Amino acid sequence: MADQKNSKPLMSGFMMSTQLLEVDGCNRCQECMKWCPTFAVRPDRPGITPMYKNARWRELMAKSHSLRAKIFGAKPLNDDEMKQFTEDTYSCTTCGVCGTVCEAGIKTVELWEAMRPNLVARGDGPVGKQSFFPKLIGSDRNPYMAKQEERLCWIPKDAKVQESGELVYFAGCTAAYRQQALGVATVRILNKLNVDFAMLGKDEWCCASALIRTGQRDVMAEHAVHNVDALKDAGAKNVLFACAGCLRNAAIDWPMWYEGYIPYETMPLSVFLRDKIKNGEVEYKVPLNYRFTYHDPCHNGRHLMHLKGKDWAFEAPRECVQSIPGVKFQEMVRNRALQRCCGAGGGVKAGIPDLAMDCAMARVQDATDIQAEVIASTCPFCRLNLIDGRNTAKSPIKMVDIVEMMAASMGLDTAIPENPYTKFQSQDVLVCTPTECKLDTVERTEPGKDLVGEAH
Amino acid sequence: MAFYTLGLTFNLVILLTVIILAVWIYGIYFNFKKWGLGSTGYHDQLRNSFWLFLATWVHEAFKDGLWVFLRTVVLDVLLLRRTLARSPVRWVMHMSMFYGFLALAAMSGFALFLDIIEHFNLAGLAHEAEMVKEMLGLPFDVFGYLLLIGATIAVSRRIFLKFVRDNTTAYDAFLIGAVFLITITGFYAEWMRGNSFLIGNLFEYPIYAPHFALIHTVLAIGLFALILPWSKYIHVISTPMTLIGNRGGE
Repeated sequence: MADQKNSKPLMSGFMMSTQLLEVDGCNRCQECMKWCPTFAVRPDRPGITPMYKNARWRELMAKSHSLRAKIFGAKPLNDDEMKQFTEDTYSCTTCGVCGTVCEAGIKTVELWEAMRPNLVARGDGPVGKQSFFPKLIGSDRNPYMAKQEERLCWIPKDAKVQESGELVYFAGCTAAYRQQALGVATVRILNKLNVDFAMLGKDEWCCASALIRTGQRDVMAEHAVHNVDALKDAGAKNVLFACAGCLRNAAIDWPMWYEGYIPYETMPLSVFLRDKIKNGEVEYKVPLNYRFTYHDPCHNGRHLMHLKGKDWAFEAPRECVQSIPGVKFQEMVRNRALQRCCGAGGGVKAGIPDLAMDCAMARVQDATDIQAEVIASTCPFCRLNLIDGRNTAKSPIKMVDIVEMMAASMGLDTAIPENPYTKFQSQDVLVCTPTECKLDTVERTEPGKDLVGEAH
Repeated sequence: MAFYTLGLTFNLVILLTVIILAVWIYGIYFNFKKWGLGSTGYHDQLRNSFWLFLATWVHEAFKDGLWVFLRTVVLDVLLLRRTLARSPVRWVMHMSMFYGFLALAAMSGFALFLDIIEHFNLAGLAHEAEMVKEMLGLPFDVFGYLLLIGATIAVSRRIFLKFVRDNTTAYDAFLIGAVFLITITGFYAEWMRGNSFLIGNLFEYPIYAPHFALIHTVLAIGLFALILPWSKYIHVISTPMTLIGNRGGE
């Protein structure tokens, strides 16, 4: 191992032994290459596909751990090679479609997320603005440099929100600071349905998804433990999420960092609302006369389908959309477990924004191909990236969250009260009269202080 | 005993078999040890332990209970459910190669066992062992053709499908080519003996049949013992282990 004196080892982070087995389990069938959303827009870079990443990891490991290395000594890791491997590894949205189609049953999302901390520990990763995440989130508890005390500044004065209770709504940073229309719509619907619920306010910290996805695990532990404790202290038995990224982290990642008992369930808001629709508690008043399609967020779909079931992951949001009067619904060719990622996840939006943009444009094209007018979703980050892709592609398609659709159709007042973050709002909104709703776009009036426009 | 040619004797073959098995077992041990460099759980410390790798794998495999383990073994490992879901052609290819290879490997081992019985006349069963060996001729042919079908599909995909061809490395080509070559040499060795299944005496050349059989055997053993543990072929071991460890995958 003398040759490696100046070369840090590849395996310095935390890779499970069964994950090292998975790397060798790849039989190079190429199926992942057909579905990878980043390779689809970067066909000249096969190195970013799972098959090649596995092969490269094997080669890099072999420099220190092959039979040749055992007999003749280890080879140092080449800087250029490591730089290339890092770029390839981070050019992945961790959408997980490769894992869904993998013949060898490799759990790819977990595998990439285990590779990345090794690159961070070696000083190779992360890439681009991703390196701001730990400092921003660690100091401000959100990625937008916003004040924690102002997390609930958008809540209408006449809305009823408790400080503790068995049902808690975890809004997430983006609904709190950048897409407040989603937060307002959620609160209005729950109030209208006479559901007693609580919010954590300043005790709600960023879910820290961005840290896990980019292999920067240190601050993550603190946030996971804090949020679980805060929810326990609030007396939560059921926690609702209207943000796919927060939901994934709360359901999958936090429990892996929390050592105590977790007494609450996590639930997508769409599932909760679907139950209300089925019980006849939701009363619609205004039709939404548009052609809709639904984009499955990776975090709410593929990542959760094995934990919560395909019904919760894929069918509940569709049933919510289709319950709204006037909606003409059509599926995109790639949907549910085989959907195409919007390109924002895995830290790509912050780290490699042009790649995220191209992925978003490809997804917008999917919707254009079926003549959809509106893409509905349940993830603020998909929405943000798809809006960016739509704008670049100069497409007329709009993006809305299904909660906002329901609130608009229920005739609820979803106006956002004036607050310090009003000027940073940027989203497509539904503007309604008592008889019809029109889609409009709210442009951000100030660039905002957020260095990192994308947190998940 | 026409097989023992070019100076090879029974004892020498047994010795070589032991050496080859030892190399193969060391190769598998080496890989298990390499996988053991990892940790036993999420964000746990790296362990670097052969035994802890096995323990972790067993723990993961049985995490959801015995029923899930058995279901995974049957549906995902033995029936390749995930491959079938993605591509029926690739499923036929993999099933043919998987069962062809496994059956031929198992029957080769069994034939060697029969050789030993015959050579030492163990329990006075030399004659019976020879008869059983002769009965193995047909299964050898059937599973050989199965492997040939799979190998032919594999090679054809790499040649005729543009996407697959474009992403085929020299490494892929060498390994798939090797399987194809070994399969073909096996058949040719059999055909040279004459009176072959489906072919009859078309390629009969009994003088050189033992030599060609030896070439085939050396190639097959070389692939099995010397290449499998150190190359992509390790997926013959690691893919089923991954499927079982991940309880069928995502």
